Amino acid sequence: MKVEVEKIGEFLWEIPRSGRMLVPGRIYADDDSMSFLLKESATKQWDALAQVRNVACLPGIVGASMAMADIHPGYGFPIGGVGAFDPGEGVVSIAGVGFDINCGVRSMVVDVTKERIELNRERVAEELFNSVPAGIGSTGTFRLSVREIDRVLVEGASFALERGYGVEEDLEYVEEGGTVAGADPSAVSPRAKERQLKQVGTLGSGNHYLEVQYVEEIFDEEAASAFGLLPGGIVVSIHTGSRALGHQIGTDYQRVMREASAKYGIPVTESELMAAPINSPEGKRYIAAVRAGINCAFANRQAISGLVRDTLKRLFHLDDRQIRTLYEVGHNNLKLETHDTAQGRRNLLVHRKGATRAFAAGREEVPLRYREVGQPVLVGGTMGTSSFILVGTELGMSETFGSAVHGAGRMKSRKQALREYRGEDVIRNLAESGIIVRTRSRKGAAEEAPGAYKDVERVVAIMEGAGVSRRVARLRPMICVKG
Amino acid sequence: MTGRGHETLEHTADMGLRGWGGSPAEAFEETALAMFELMVDRHGMAAEIDHRLSIGGRDLTGLLIEFLNELLSFADIEDTAFVSVRIERLEGGGEDWELDAVIGGIPRGKCRKRLLSEVKAATWYGASVGRDSDGRWVAGCVVDL
Repeated sequence: MKVEVEKIGEFLWEIPRSGRMLVPGRIYADDDSMSFLLKESATKQWDALAQVRNVACLPGIVGASMAMADIHPGYGFPIGGVGAFDPGEGVVSIAGVGFDINCGVRSMVVDVTKERIELNRERVAEELFNSVPAGIGSTGTFRLSVREIDRVLVEGASFALERGYGVEEDLEYVEEGGTVAGADPSAVSPRAKERQLKQVGTLGSGNHYLEVQYVEEIFDEEAASAFGLLPGGIVVSIHTGSRALGHQIGTDYQRVMREASAKYGIPVTESELMAAPINSPEGKRYIAAVRAGINCAFANRQAISGLVRDTLKRLFHLDDRQIRTLYEVGHNNLKLETHDTAQGRRNLLVHRKGATRAFAAGREEVPLRYREVGQPVLVGGTMGTSSFILVGTELGMSETFGSAVHGAGRMKSRKQALREYRGEDVIRNLAESGIIVRTRSRKGAAEEAPGAYKDVERVVAIMEGAGVSRRVARLRPMICVKG
Repeated sequence: MTGRGHETLEHTADMGLRGWGGSPAEAFEETALAMFELMVDRHGMAAEIDHRLSIGGRDLTGLLIEFLNELLSFADIEDTAFVSVRIERLEGGGEDWELDAVIGGIPRGKCRKRLLSEVKAATWYGASVGRDSDGRWVAGCVVDL
């Protein structure tokens, strides 16, 4: 069904309220991006603009149903989608979190020169590839009992730290300190736990990655200085999530939410947008399960960061002080946050599906070291293009509940990518441009070809042009490890 | 569409599945095969182990989603790549539907080079089971990759 949009700012578009919409839809896009979205809306079966509109129909939504500039079709919510809900009247939706709960990025600044990486490029790639379990069905170095997995779900990154992965200081630079309160292992099924027993500390496959990058350009000296970024400096980034545990939590609660939607009379505009009132027993239990999934992802990234740390220390004779966690932020999340709204200061349950929290300077959630400049926002690019580090702004706090993009955003389907690219060619072309790719899946390399994604430069420029986040640094990949 | 078969449908981030046949059971089998083919290059592979599973759902579409998700969980727990499926019983009415199936698999360790993608979950997005204008049963949904 065709969706009407109105341009309300240079980089901001609105789907005006109509029909069952309770709030307008708001999309961050430039003219070309919106033309592409409208064309897709008119011609494709799966439609991101219709998804923005459908989310606007969910009870208790506050402000607007939003999509960041990396918007593309998901299931229920669009990818890049943000929806904040009143805890009293609002609902919680599985589609607003997704199945890879708290999928996110950890970036670490490494005190080694670009030249040393270049000189040892092949060896570094090989050692990282061998030290971080990745790929379908891979198993981690952890062997956990069911009792221990319950500790992972409550303790998050601290559990991995206690097992010797990483250093205490890491936790200061992870959202929520690496442990979110309110997680309830009893809300997570035995099957979800069973699936995770061997998967803590695994990267996964698909778009998950481990990259060695260098700082190509700095845009904001003050923020870059606070983040410890120098021109030519080395950053290692890890992109992964809660693995099978998150997948199974989503699967288990689809059943619960479907029944809750009927029980509480929640209008379901689209079948995956099933939801439960936040205050209902079903809603509370799902939130407690999601928090367990969030902690699992924290533990997973902490474990992998520990493996990376140990590998780099060994290869370059570094000590722990020379590898510093810059930040870790999730982008498939559900968080209870305080925001200033037209109705005053309110607690809101914010869903971010393929969108990153991007808090401004002064917020107590921002680590002390960064509090005067704002929260780092880690934006993953592609294997062949740049990643970006942004920072949150005050305008972002009021317009997007402190949210920004999470990546470039897919433009071509995996099927289209497989028709257009061959994995071998993608890997060879990247090697010719100085980027080493190590992967177990050539098909995966084709699906993840840089050309399958939007232009990340444009995506972050839209968000900066709209004023909701600001570029701090551009990172260029040197080594990319994938599952 | 011929008598029975399956296909995947373009989706920017994920993948649509569609299976069709002369009965709901055939349509379910074909949809499952579409999903298996995202996960493993099953061409020419014969199952080494048969697994039996029984699933219930509150309607036919619900049964399909439960079935596909059960296959994903089961494959993970058993560390197995599934290559074949046979539904031995699919029946029900009202809010009570059930199926029994035999799934053929190969330990992942024996076919690691032929593993293709990880499917995270079968979603309700675009999910449906019904008859088309030719009277064939058609099933499908979007899976999260």
